[in-house]
Amino acid sequence: MTSDLNRQDSHREYDYFPGDGYPGDHHSLRLRRLSSRRSIPNIPHYNPSSSDGGDSEADNQGQPRELRGLPQHMAIKKAKLKSRGILVPVLSKAELWKQDKLKKLQKLQNKAREFLYFLTLWGKTLQKIGGNFGGGVRSYFLFLRFLVILNFVSFLLMAGFVIIPSLVFRQTGVSFMNSNSTAGEEKCTIYEPNPPGLVVFYDYFLDLLSGTGFMEYSFMFYGYYNNTMVEDRNFSYKISLAYLFTAIFYFAFCLICIITRMGSAARVAVATGGSTVVNYSMIVFTGWDYGCLGDTATKLKQKNLLYRLQVDLEEERLKKHAASLTLLQKFGLHSLRLLMFLLVLGLNIAAFFGIFYATSYSQNQSAGKESDGVQALFFEYLPSIVISAGNFLVPLLCDQIAKVEHYSPSITVIVALLRAVVLRFVGLGVLLFTLWDQITCTGKINDEKCKLCRYNYDSYPCWETRVGQEMYKLTLFDLLINIAVLVLVEFPRRMVVDNWSSKISQLVGRQEFVVSANVLGLVYSQTVVWTGAMFCPLLPLINTVKFVILFYCKKITLFSNCRPPQKTFRSTTSAFFFLVVLLLGWMLASVVLIYSIAVIRPSLGCGPFRFYDSMWSIVPKSLNSLPAVTQEFLFFIGSQAFTIPLFSLSSLVMFYVIALFSIYGKSVRLLRQQLKGESRDKQFLVKQIEELSQ
Amino acid sequence: MGATASQLDKGMLSEYQELTYLTKQEILLAHKRFSELVPKEEIDRINCRIPMNLVLTLPELKSNPFNERICKVFSTSDSHDGSLNFDDFLDLLSAFSDSATLEIKSHYAFRIFDFDDDGTLGRHDLEKLVNCLTGGTDDTNLTPEEMRQLIDNILEESDIDKDGTVNLSEFQHVISRSPDFVSSFKIVL
Repeated sequence: MTSDLNRQDSHREYDYFPGDGYPGDHHSLRLRRLSSRRSIPNIPHYNPSSSDGGDSEADNQGQPRELRGLPQHMAIKKAKLKSRGILVPVLSKAELWKQDKLKKLQKLQNKAREFLYFLTLWGKTLQKIGGNFGGGVRSYFLFLRFLVILNFVSFLLMAGFVIIPSLVFRQTGVSFMNSNSTAGEEKCTIYEPNPPGLVVFYDYFLDLLSGTGFMEYSFMFYGYYNNTMVEDRNFSYKISLAYLFTAIFYFAFCLICIITRMGSAARVAVATGGSTVVNYSMIVFTGWDYGCLGDTATKLKQKNLLYRLQVDLEEERLKKHAASLTLLQKFGLHSLRLLMFLLVLGLNIAAFFGIFYATSYSQNQSAGKESDGVQALFFEYLPSIVISAGNFLVPLLCDQIAKVEHYSPSITVIVALLRAVVLRFVGLGVLLFTLWDQITCTGKINDEKCKLCRYNYDSYPCWETRVGQEMYKLTLFDLLINIAVLVLVEFPRRMVVDNWSSKISQLVGRQEFVVSANVLGLVYSQTVVWTGAMFCPLLPLINTVKFVILFYCKKITLFSNCRPPQKTFRSTTSAFFFLVVLLLGWMLASVVLIYSIAVIRPSLGCGPFRFYDSMWSIVPKSLNSLPAVTQEFLFFIGSQAFTIPLFSLSSLVMFYVIALFSIYGKSVRLLRQQLKGESRDKQFLVKQIEELSQ
Repeated sequence: MGATASQLDKGMLSEYQELTYLTKQEILLAHKRFSELVPKEEIDRINCRIPMNLVLTLPELKSNPFNERICKVFSTSDSHDGSLNFDDFLDLLSAFSDSATLEIKSHYAFRIFDFDDDGTLGRHDLEKLVNCLTGGTDDTNLTPEEMRQLIDNILEESDIDKDGTVNLSEFQHVISRSPDFVSSFKIVL
């Protein structure tokens, strides 16, 4: 049957029953086997020798299916159909209708998926970026999008539980004074954010930038909220309690989001074998998407594939090169790396001291004389200026250092990130430390200034608002700096390079989008927001708007001013590290949160925690108003009888998960070896067949 | 046995349904699109053939880098010029449809990638394949060293019998391990 059909010259090799590897005339058996396999599109295994005899679909669809499954031309299939004597198709109307409906359902599912993809924020833009600049740059924008959504959702949280109730209950609620305040503290309760008299008009602009004046006593800052309490028949709402719990829950929520995302990023990195296993044949044979329509989509896809192949080939070359170094060369390389590490450490320490001096100088100046106008603004912004300058210079130097070190592109990005992150956080930490220094008189309660109110009342009548203002200033300044750099540095650079050809401009060239520095900027801004969210509830909203503006600015500069990267790096492992660094920022912010909730005394003049010893002490006081059963339950949870068994149970679960993890890792390795062994077996069998057939 | 210009009769429709992976609607749509491409003079000739350059005006095939190979593989014309009649067109759509099996798709993918039609994917075929994937112009190609490195890697991974080329079963072995192939090897009108 095979000999008289399908004899076209160039297609000789494509007979359905070729002799390459399938000896013997089993074509009737193969037909039966073929018919027993269901044609579900997503089953990936190819198994011509599977004996799935008992498939239910084989019975009523066995005969017609096998013909359409032949990779031959229509004329031959028609001839076969005729030769089988089936003149009328066997498929009944019901079967046809069922197939039709199934296909329609699949089409609907595809359309729904496409629509959901369309709704994804900035989906098309991200694809365009990935196609033009590679996966590395795209991972930065993915990270930015994640932060935008996180900030927006946390703002909704804050708005729902704190801002809107505050707005609503401000009129109806009861704001009570605690008469237990000790004598002499009446002075501490005076707080006047709005100075009397006329205000010069440009002061409004300065106020907008620094959060003072008309902005200070508004929903922006902590000082505006009162400890209003509303009690109705079935409903009671305490703003102070809500404020505290919302802040704590906000932190927990962000932690959960980050860890979930880290989990999925880690899973991708592990599943693709990290950077060790690359399957080139898979990329080349299965990489193309035949549904790509249009020239632009096709070109994008081609660029994507090109970048992917180049990244993998480059990493392989570097690995080979590293493995081929002699012992002496290895020693030289490692000692060079150590030297560079020490150099970077020295740079970081120098920057740290610079920031410290600038911050204390600025605090002294603003606490000392009453300079007004632009000079005061300058002194207020001095710490931010120094921090930004340090953040600009040090990564630049680190980049030059990294060129000497010859790490692979993926590792270079991670190393650059880790180096610069310390500097950024140190800068922020120094600022917070100096603030704390001033507010609590370096922790010495009996110091002259702090004796009366237990915090430095003269300089900070409402210290929470002040901290919130500092964070607000940092956020705003960061955005302004980014826009200023965009307008004043990047666009002119491109114009100079494009229009004025000289040796200098050739040397400098168009700029390249440095992912690590930008990611660090994002992590820093987010840490600032987390630190300040407790004291400035609208800060997540401001940050959302800021990040959206930043997205579009970075996109514009990317497409207009940057050249395509010469080297791109693998984005899976670096996405994981971005989240690790973000987690570090979260930890810093949570330290600040815990300290300000538990230790420092809230201001007496403002805020919802006015007359409590610490912000946390509102919780035990409110607990007393709960019914006795709930109180006992909560005390039990906090007691040792509960926490110790809980702790041992969680350690048990943790050890179990660790054991499971190591088992999975071992089985993944075993399976990989099994795959290799299988291909060797095939090789051996093929050789045997060749020998036997000779 | 081709299609007349104006309609397909019921017998032919159900025959096509049996011999391809397409539903009735898809076959009718294919017939409509095919008829639009047929030049006016030949519209009543049965079994008319559309030249390749007309087939390539279809938006689904226009920017596909493999469009010429696809036409050549599915063409049954004696002069191997890539022209398609309606039967060939339906074969094409059937192989690229949603419900086609992995075996059919991998078989045709192999034939599409076999640029010199010698039954195996040699170095030259692989080089042309990679160039199609990355863009084909000078500045979108890999450098010769990168190309050599890539093809060496591909052959090391997939050439099991070490004869320097990838044959059909080795190709299908690679394809079978990819979960995305079936959904990406799809052209729907």
